Amino acid sequence: MDIKIYENDKIKEKLFFKELASGLKIYFMPKEGYTKQYAIFSTNYGSIDNIFVPIGEKKAIEVPEGIAHFLEHKLFEEPEENIFDKFSKLGANVNAYTNFTQTAYLFSSTENFYENLELLVHFVQHPYFTDENVEKEKGIIAQEINMYRDNPNWRVFFNCLRAMYGEHPVKIDIAGTVESIQDISKELLYKCYNTFYNPNNMVLFIAGDLSFDEILRVIDKTERKDSKKIEEVNRVFKEEPKGVRENFIEESMMTSTPLFYIGFKDEDINLSGKERVKKDLMTNFILDMLFGSSSIFYNELYEEGIIDSSFGAYFTGKKSYGHSLIVGESKKPKEVYERVMNLFEKDPQSILNEDDFNRIKRKNIGGFLMSFNSVESIANNFIDLYFEEVLLIDYLEILESIEYKNLIERLKKHFVKENVVLSIINPLS
Amino acid sequence: MNLKSERIQIDNGIHLNLIYTDKFKSNLLSYYFLRPLSKDEVTKNALLPLVLKRGTEEYDTNLKIQKKLEETYGANFSISINKRGEKQVLRFTVESINGDYVGDKDNIYEVIDLLKDIIYNPTLEKGYFRKDYVNQEKENLKNRIEGRINDKRSYALDRCIEEMCKNEKFSIYPLGKVEDLDGIDENILYEHYKNVIITSPMEIFYVGEYDAKLIEYIKDIGKIERKELLNIPREQIISGVQTKNMVSEDLDVTQGKLVLGFRTGIPYEDRLYNGLIVASDILGGGPNSKLFRNVREKESLAYYITSTIYKYKSIMLIDGGIEFQNFEKTIDIINEQLEEMKKGNFTEEDIEISKKSIKSSTESIRDSAFLISEYFFSQILSMDNRSLEEILEDIDSVTKEEIVEAISHVVLDTIYFMKSSKNQ
Repeated sequence: MDIKIYENDKIKEKLFFKELASGLKIYFMPKEGYTKQYAIFSTNYGSIDNIFVPIGEKKAIEVPEGIAHFLEHKLFEEPEENIFDKFSKLGANVNAYTNFTQTAYLFSSTENFYENLELLVHFVQHPYFTDENVEKEKGIIAQEINMYRDNPNWRVFFNCLRAMYGEHPVKIDIAGTVESIQDISKELLYKCYNTFYNPNNMVLFIAGDLSFDEILRVIDKTERKDSKKIEEVNRVFKEEPKGVRENFIEESMMTSTPLFYIGFKDEDINLSGKERVKKDLMTNFILDMLFGSSSIFYNELYEEGIIDSSFGAYFTGKKSYGHSLIVGESKKPKEVYERVMNLFEKDPQSILNEDDFNRIKRKNIGGFLMSFNSVESIANNFIDLYFEEVLLIDYLEILESIEYKNLIERLKKHFVKENVVLSIINPLS
Repeated sequence: MNLKSERIQIDNGIHLNLIYTDKFKSNLLSYYFLRPLSKDEVTKNALLPLVLKRGTEEYDTNLKIQKKLEETYGANFSISINKRGEKQVLRFTVESINGDYVGDKDNIYEVIDLLKDIIYNPTLEKGYFRKDYVNQEKENLKNRIEGRINDKRSYALDRCIEEMCKNEKFSIYPLGKVEDLDGIDENILYEHYKNVIITSPMEIFYVGEYDAKLIEYIKDIGKIERKELLNIPREQIISGVQTKNMVSEDLDVTQGKLVLGFRTGIPYEDRLYNGLIVASDILGGGPNSKLFRNVREKESLAYYITSTIYKYKSIMLIDGGIEFQNFEKTIDIINEQLEEMKKGNFTEEDIEISKKSIKSSTESIRDSAFLISEYFFSQILSMDNRSLEEILEDIDSVTKEEIVEAISHVVLDTIYFMKSSKNQ
């Protein structure tokens, strides 16, 4: 297949694309004059994919919480030499992360890019799990889980999700629990790997002062040719009940000031592509207009000393879930909640102002353009949108297409009492 | 691209540093004020940026400032208050879109005006700062100081430094002390502000595209009459250790936080400092380091375990998150690995890996306007005239002997451990 080139005159960037016979898709954004080179190899598999039909089988299975993240750790294992060492010798920094919907492996380098790229593709495509190395990892991940347990921001966030969702696995901690990871075995890891690490379920994105021809040559030479291209992975999501599981959740732990998350669960889900991105943007516009640092709400509560500059609001979601989160620190979290709810009782026309809309739009356009300054931002934004079937280079157009009149309906539908949760972490008394 | 900065003195103790580049879609302007890190003024200094960002003569509320920032295509305004060695540094930065991308060439002038106004033309009431703003920001600062505990890892590092450097200025927390706040009001703070504006050494950075007109515009700081400049002495470096210190703190946490504080006695001006940087990286830099391999990969004791050099004070801290009962075992392994280093038990390959990693992160500075400004600022602070290329060469030329010599100067001073008697 030929190379496809996308261009955008406003952004003044180009994007190259090619799909290989294996189904692997490769995107490249040249960044002339940049010292750093960046590659990210990502699979459409995250912590929420915990019930699925394994490749070659007929029945769906449910896997232990935290297995996608565990797999991410274990992929760094090689029969002979540690993969970290190989990258280090080439002067590159290798890393990986797992979130709700994907697992990504990445490196940044300033030299030896193509050798590093070869390593990246090779190690992600060659798992090596043994009973011994799986057992060893349990201790390390248990420490990672404990580190997050002591983080009040993480706890207030996951408590909020747990209260909000009855069934959807977004409520599960990404790393699982110290107990759940004990059930992870070599066999289960291979099952997950073989199902979700098929080239057709993956994307490789590269940014830097590099040559696409050379990139393609290296990948063609390195990629595994023996894996059969499979179509869609069969994922199972239990039906999520309407409304929220509980509307209030609190806990006490070592922290100085109470932390709060006010969450609105989205019921307008299962959209895809541009429609979904547009919905995300509209919701974020509303939140920015109502609660951003130039909003009346923010400034009133700030001056009353009820909130501080940690206060913020954003919408986040993927195809199967979504939620608005209004978060911060406050000595009076319940009062913040009351005031938020009071605001939503007002006539949407009266609180959403068109001048504010235009300004927020301008801010978003500037912010989006500036995000192209960093190869990391480009890569992370690209990957995040990609599995939602939107290319980063088309994002500006979607952003510009948002109109003021779209917002009113969205506000009325999304910000309703039935779907709200208040999560608080209190200091120990 | 070779990084070059043009340094122009624009007033007594005020320098403008210009770094021309057309690589980014934005431009960045940063003001740094330098103050001595001292008990007398640390809290007042920390409060200043918080009050200044509340309002200018023209935009007298946060709401108006925020609206202005949004109108200028989402210019990012930020402040920071921190310490570099025994200097307290106040930074005011704005990064904004290059006007070419939005068809608005003059956008940058509006952004510069706003930043200058925030610094030089605060909103006043009866000739002083506004009382309500000062009171609100005192409360916010208090919360931030008390909120240190929320990030357990950085809290543990800070606490180790406090204990280790008890009798040195470096122990002062850069956001100040809650006890000081009662003694500060709008008059006292405003008098202090006037003094800061006229006596602080200042560095201004501009990174982006510019022409003569823009330089003149930035240079014009109005009718400030600068007084005699503050002299901020270089930090004292203590080598050797008088008393070994062991501090533990009982908090309701799940994971123990271990921090080991060492004296290195090697000042950054010393050639051996390059050897120290490489030594610390071999010991506890990246995932190929001795500590990562032994504490994490071999013994599964920790998720993170690293070693860091604090440049201006020549100290080294090793920190890790562990189970409470693994305290002694972890310390034993750390000591063992340190001894291995002192005996020279590491390979040429280890050295190469560390050099590459240090050079690569140093070179990456070129890809961020903010890091470029921070890099030149740090060069000025340490009166280091080397170019980025020379710094890279110096790292490259470090020998095994230098690494061994550097690490042999490292002496343990303080052990800090955060644990929980309740969750044991």
